[in-house]
Amino acid sequence: MMTFTRACATRKKRLTALIALSLAGSVIPLAAQAETPADSLVMAWNIDAISTFDPAQIGEVVTNELIKNTCDTLVDFDPKDESKIIPSLAKSWDISADRQTLTFHLNSGLVFPSGNKGSAQDLAWSMQRVVLLGFGNSATLTEYGFTKENVKERITAPDDNTLVMKLDKPYPSNLILQAIAANDVAITLDKALLEKNIVGNDMGNKYLTTHTACIGPYQLVRWNAGEGLVLQANENYYGSKPRLKRILIRHVAETGTQRLLLTQGDVDIARDLAPDDLRDLDKSGKVNIEKVLKPQLFFWTMNAEDPIFKNEKVRLAMRYLIDYQGLASTVMPYLGVPRASFAQLGAFGALDKDKGQPFKLDLVKARQLLTEAGYPNGFSAKVYIGTLPHSAPIAQNTQENAAKVGVKLSIESMANAQLFSRVRGREFQSAMMAWQTSVPDAYGNASRLVSNPDNSKEAKKTQYPSWRASYFDAAMNKAVNEALLEPDEQKRVTRYHTLQEEQMQQGPFAIMFQMYNTAGLNKSVKDWTWNGFRVYYAVASK
Amino acid sequence: MSLIEPTAGVQPAETRWARVAERAASLGKLLVSVAVTLLGLAALTFFIGRLLPIDPVVSVLGDNASQEAYQKMYVLLGLDKPLWEQFLLYLKHVCMLDFGTSLTTGHPVSEDIARVFPATLELASLAALIGTSLGIPAGVLSAMYRNTWFDHGIRFIGLLGHSAPNFWLGLMGLVLFYAALGWIGGPGRIDFMYEFDVHKVTGFYLIDTAIAGNWEAFRNVFSHLILPASILGLSGLSYISRMTRSFMIEQLSQEYVITARIKGLSWARSVWIHAFRNVAVQVVTVVALSYAFLLEGAVLTETVFAWPGFGRYLTNAMLAGDMNAVVGCSLLIGVIFVVLNLVCDLLYRIFDPRTRQEQS
Repeated sequence: MMTFTRACATRKKRLTALIALSLAGSVIPLAAQAETPADSLVMAWNIDAISTFDPAQIGEVVTNELIKNTCDTLVDFDPKDESKIIPSLAKSWDISADRQTLTFHLNSGLVFPSGNKGSAQDLAWSMQRVVLLGFGNSATLTEYGFTKENVKERITAPDDNTLVMKLDKPYPSNLILQAIAANDVAITLDKALLEKNIVGNDMGNKYLTTHTACIGPYQLVRWNAGEGLVLQANENYYGSKPRLKRILIRHVAETGTQRLLLTQGDVDIARDLAPDDLRDLDKSGKVNIEKVLKPQLFFWTMNAEDPIFKNEKVRLAMRYLIDYQGLASTVMPYLGVPRASFAQLGAFGALDKDKGQPFKLDLVKARQLLTEAGYPNGFSAKVYIGTLPHSAPIAQNTQENAAKVGVKLSIESMANAQLFSRVRGREFQSAMMAWQTSVPDAYGNASRLVSNPDNSKEAKKTQYPSWRASYFDAAMNKAVNEALLEPDEQKRVTRYHTLQEEQMQQGPFAIMFQMYNTAGLNKSVKDWTWNGFRVYYAVASK
Repeated sequence: MSLIEPTAGVQPAETRWARVAERAASLGKLLVSVAVTLLGLAALTFFIGRLLPIDPVVSVLGDNASQEAYQKMYVLLGLDKPLWEQFLLYLKHVCMLDFGTSLTTGHPVSEDIARVFPATLELASLAALIGTSLGIPAGVLSAMYRNTWFDHGIRFIGLLGHSAPNFWLGLMGLVLFYAALGWIGGPGRIDFMYEFDVHKVTGFYLIDTAIAGNWEAFRNVFSHLILPASILGLSGLSYISRMTRSFMIEQLSQEYVITARIKGLSWARSVWIHAFRNVAVQVVTVVALSYAFLLEGAVLTETVFAWPGFGRYLTNAMLAGDMNAVVGCSLLIGVIFVVLNLVCDLLYRIFDPRTRQEQS
C-alpha cells in the first residue's frame, strides 16, 4: 500500500493546485448588497398562517392585519387611541334614541379594483354573508343578536349610501362600533365579481382563498403561498392615497434570519424578532425597536372541576407564586407587561396599571392561603404548556417558587394544537396559554373569561375559556350582563372595575402578562403607526 | 434468475415470449410490492394522524371558534364518519391523486406539494451534486493517501459535516458570507425584486430563469442557492467520503491492484477502472440514500434559509395536525424511496456485470 501511495505522491502538487483553484473560484462575490426600493416597504414576517383572504373566515393575526390594509371597514380605530372610533367606509353614523338602530352614511366614490362601483347594497350583502357562511367570525355579529334567519332583515341598505343595523338589545353603541372595527365583518366585497366566481353556494369563499375583492388603500396583487406577497397602492381609492406604492412581505420563519435581513438592509422591517435579538438591536441603536401593547393576555388557567383547583383559595395562592416583577425584568422586557386583570390596558373599563396588577411573589401569603385551603404541605399538579417561547421560562420560574411551599408542579410541554385540544376538551388540570380579545372594551374578556352561558359538558361552549376551565358563577354571569346593558357610561366603568377586582381574587385564570407586538425597523422607515388592533401601512413612509 | 441460456443469432419465438412473460411477471411483482408499500404507508400515517390528540378543526378555525362553526367544519372534514370509512374515502381520493385540502394553507395538498417540492428538489439536487462530486474523489483520495494530511483534512471536514448541526452552519454561513462579506444572496430562493419576474415553468428557478434568458435573475438565484446547497452538500460529502474511503481501502489492499500496477497500468486506470468499479455498487447505494434523505427536505436548513421547501411544509403540517398534508407528503416520500431503489437496481446492472448475468 505504501508503495502505491508513493507512486501516487507526484500527483499531490496537482491536487493542491486543484483545491486552491476551487477555493479561489468559490470566493468570487455573487451578490451585491441590496437596498430596498424607496417607494416600497419590505417586511420579513412569518406568514405561514395565511390560508384565506375571505373576511368572513379570517381567524388569525397575519391575514387580519393584511386585510385591514386592503379592505376598509365601516368604521375604524383612531390610530392614536384605540378606544376611539373614526369614520372609514362610513363618513358618519346616527344612533337611535333606544340604541338599537345604527344608521351609517357611506362615502361616495367607492370603486372596487375591478372597476365595479361599490354601494351600501354590496356592504349589506357582505355583512349578511358573514352570518350566513357561519365561520368563526360570524360570532362577532351573532353575539349581538344577528342570526341566519334574521340577518337579511336586520342588516339592510335602504339606498346606495345608507346601511342600517338593527340590534336585538340596547348594547353600548361604542362596543358595537369597536366590534365592527376590530373584526372583519363589515368589509364591503365586490358582490358582482364574487357572484361570477361562486362555487356551489359558497358566496365566493373559494375565490377569496387566494384573492381580495374589496376597497382599501392597498390591493393584493401577488401571493405566493409560503414565499411572499405584494400589496400595491389602489389607484381608485376614495380616501387619502398611501404614501408608499408597494408593501412587499417576504415569508421568513426563522427569527435569526429576520435579524440578519434587517441588519443587512434587505428588509425594512422584521416582525418576529426574538426577545434576545430585540434587546441586542435596541442596545446597538442601529435599528429602531417599536412595541405596542396588544389585547392578548398570557395566563395560567386552572380547571375548576379539579378537586384541588376548585378551591378559590388554592387559585389565589397560585397567584402569589408568580414572580411578576422578576419575570418582567428578565424574560418579558420585549414580550409584555405584568397584568393580572382580565381587562387589558387600553380597554374601556380597564383598571389602571397598578390596580390591575396588585400581586407580587409572596411565599408566606401563598403558604397561608394553602393552609386555609387545607393543603398545608402543598400538593402535586400538572401544568401543560405550548410552544410559545416564554411559556417554558415562566412555567419553570413558577415551578421553582411553588416547590418552596410544597407544591410540586410538573410541566408538560406539547404542540399548541395539542394543548388547545386538551384545554378545549377540559382534559387538563392547569395550563399556561394566551388569549386575545377582539374589542378594546372590558366586555370583550368579561364575556369570555368570566361569563359562562352553560357549564354542562354537553354544551361544549369551547369558545369560552370560562367553560373550558369549568368555571361557572350565576352571579358573575348576571353582573357581566348588567354591565353590558348599563346605559350610564360611568356606572358601566364602575361595574367593570368591581368585576375585575372580584375575578383577581377568585377567577380560574391567574392572568400574568399583557403581551406586546414588537418590530425592528430600519432607520429609513418613518411614521410606522400601530395600536393593539391594527397597523396602518398607508401612513408609513421612507 | 432465469434458466434460459443466452443464444447467438435469432432466438426462437417461444424463448422471446418466455422472456417477455418473465419480465412482465417481474414488473407485476414490482408494482404489487410498490402498491403494498404505499398502501401500508398511507394506512399507518392516516391512522396515526387520526389517533393523535390534535384537533384538526381547531387548526382550521382557530381557538376562538364557536361550537356551531366547529361542528360545521367537523362534518365538512368528514370527521363524523367512522374511521374505516374515512380511510376508504381517503384511499379513493388518493387513487385519483386528490390528497384533499390542506387545513393550514387552504389549498389542495397536491397543489401545495407541486409548489414546494421543486424548491427542495432543486436544493437537494445541487447539494447531492456537490456532495457526490466532491465526496467520491475525496473518499478515494483519502484511501489512497491514508494517514496523510489530506486524509486528516477530509476526516476533519467529515466530522464537521456530521457533528455540526446544519442550522448552526447555516446561520454561521449567512453571518460570514452574506452579512460580513456580502458574497452571496441572503435567505430565500431569490431577491424580492426578481421574485415576481420569474415565470414558473418547471418550478426550478435556475432552469426557469435560464429559459427566460434572464441571466441577472439566474445569477441571483444561484447566489441564494449556493450556500444552503453547500451546507447540505457537506453532510452528503461527509457520509459519502467516509463510506467510499472504507470501501476503497479494502479494495486497494487487494493483490489485483498491486498486480495491475506491476503490470504497468497507470495510476488512474488502476484506481478508477479496476478498484473503483468494484466498490461502485456500494457507493451508488450510499449516494442514493443520501439523496433520498435530502429530498425528504432538510427542515432546519430550509427554515434558516427561509426556503419554501417540502421539509418545512411537512413539519408545519405536522405541528398543526394537518393530516391531509402529512399523509400526502408521506406518500411522496415513499414514492421517492421506491423510485430511488429502482434507479439503484438499474445502476447495479450497469456497474456489476454479475447482476446482469443473474437476471438475463
